[in-house]
Amino acid sequence: MQEKKLGDYIVTVEKINKTFPNGVCALREFSTRIRRREVVVIIGPSGSGKSTFLRCLNGLEEIDSGSIVIDGIPLDENKKNRWEIRKEVGMVFQSFNLFPHKTVLANITLAPRLVRKKSNDEAAEMAMDLLRKVNIPEKAESYPSQLSGGQQQRVAIARALAMHPKVMMFDEATSALDPEMIGEVLDVMKNLAEEGMTMIVVTHEMGFAREVSDRVVFMEDGYIVEEGTAEHFFTNPQKERTKLFLSQIL
Amino acid sequence: MAVKTSQFYKKVWLKLKRSALMDVTKFLVVVAVIMWVLARGTQQLGYNWQWYQVPKYIFQFQDGQFSFGPLMFGLAMTFRITAWGLVLSMTIGLVTALLRLSDSFFARIVARGYVELIRNTPLLVQIFFLYFVLAPIFGLSRFFAGVLALSLFEGAYASEIFRAGIVSIHKGQWEASHSLGLNTFDTYRCIILPQAIRRILPPLTSQAISLIKDSALVSTIAVYDLTMEGRAVIAETFLTFEIWFTVAFMYLMITIILSIVVNFLENRFRIQT
Ligand SMILES: Nc1ncnc2c1ncn2[C@@H]1O[C@H](COP(=O)(O)OP(=O)(O)OP(=O)(O)O)[C@@H](O)[C@H]1O
Ligand SMILES: [Mg+2]
Repeated sequence: MQEKKLGDYIVTVEKINKTFPNGVCALREFSTRIRRREVVVIIGPSGSGKSTFLRCLNGLEEIDSGSIVIDGIPLDENKKNRWEIRKEVGMVFQSFNLFPHKTVLANITLAPRLVRKKSNDEAAEMAMDLLRKVNIPEKAESYPSQLSGGQQQRVAIARALAMHPKVMMFDEATSALDPEMIGEVLDVMKNLAEEGMTMIVVTHEMGFAREVSDRVVFMEDGYIVEEGTAEHFFTNPQKERTKLFLSQIL
Repeated sequence: MAVKTSQFYKKVWLKLKRSALMDVTKFLVVVAVIMWVLARGTQQLGYNWQWYQVPKYIFQFQDGQFSFGPLMFGLAMTFRITAWGLVLSMTIGLVTALLRLSDSFFARIVARGYVELIRNTPLLVQIFFLYFVLAPIFGLSRFFAGVLALSLFEGAYASEIFRAGIVSIHKGQWEASHSLGLNTFDTYRCIILPQAIRRILPPLTSQAISLIKDSALVSTIAVYDLTMEGRAVIAETFLTFEIWFTVAFMYLMITIILSIVVNFLENRFRIQT
């Protein structure tokens, strides 16, 4: 991996706690900081709170205590701040969540038009650029149901990028895909990382972690067990729990 | 050659079988059979059919002057009541559904209370309450009192239909929309409602048909709708069977027009695959 210069801290998370109404505690005193252009991969067993962490970052879940600051904007009671943060943070879901009643182009242009107040032409032009970037410009007028899983996920990435987010989050973006389609989505994500996008990636693709990530975070039961470079995880993980988990997924 | 022609006939037959013409024919045959059974029955009652009397209550043509009869006025009134009722009840239904799904505890309680109140009392009582109690206080006209009672009643049911349609949309659609920075209003407008409407349309159509039929109840507060006019004509002429058949047929016309409109809407909101 070539040397890359990381910037200042864009995401600051301090001691956040999240307990669901059913009593499940998903995040405990969770703290981390992420720099501009940094690619952080989060791994951990099912139910360890990975998704919950991402969802807290853009306000899809509310935290019970602690603080989250993204690009200088605190995620607090102020509703305006939350909308502001959502504009700056893009999210890609395991299940794509494309809008089935809209064409690929309309999926991508919707938010730029409504939220960023772009003109139709401007938004469409940008959408086509993004579709070329994810290698499916010919699908602009298709509906999501007419696409393969890999194509749908690439559209979902393009849709998130259309808002020009400063941080991109991926929640197991390739887990729902057939093996032969995983590569095409990972390639898009790698390109994005090379362009200097700040990324938080929940994934079990250790190849991706090794190739692209600056830092790997292993979490369990709502807190960080161990973190370090991908190399560190492959060569000398410290904690027993980490070793056990890695032996299961590798 | 012979094979070709038989194939040709088979094709024509298949086409006919699928065409609307076939449905109409079936319908007419059923109607004819019912008519025949009725004719036999009423013959035994000694009923004297006087269909020739009916047209003049629909329209008249006298001295080169064309004029509508009482049944047509009744039809027009029922049409007006239904049109207003549809618009109002759908609006009430949607707003109530949104309130019930909102974050505000107060809004949810109000919406819930309204729905429970309406669903657990008879429509007739509601019409009387609105007309005899509220109308004098607020100076509502007979017509408006009737329409309002009807709309409040159907709106409560429509709200349940809207609510079910909205919650049936996958949570992921909300999350995707919110994570793109769309607010709740835009999410409903551009993402949730356009998808929900396709699931909502069929049950909503049944509700609209109920509204058309229930509109007959406003005749109890002397709004001159189709039912009221029909009763008046019967009181005058004793053409009981003929007039009620005619009135029923006219109600059928309204529901058929409604189905055509719904059909058009369903095509518009169809999702591409
Ligand atoms: N909406 C919710 N209500 C109640 N409990 C929840 C909710 N969402 C998540 N949880 C619980 O919180 C814990 C953390 O869930 P989370 O989805 O963050 O895990 P995860 O690390 O993403 O797991 P996976 O790898 O299976 O996606 C789990 O025990 C889960 O059951
Ligand atoms: Mg998860």
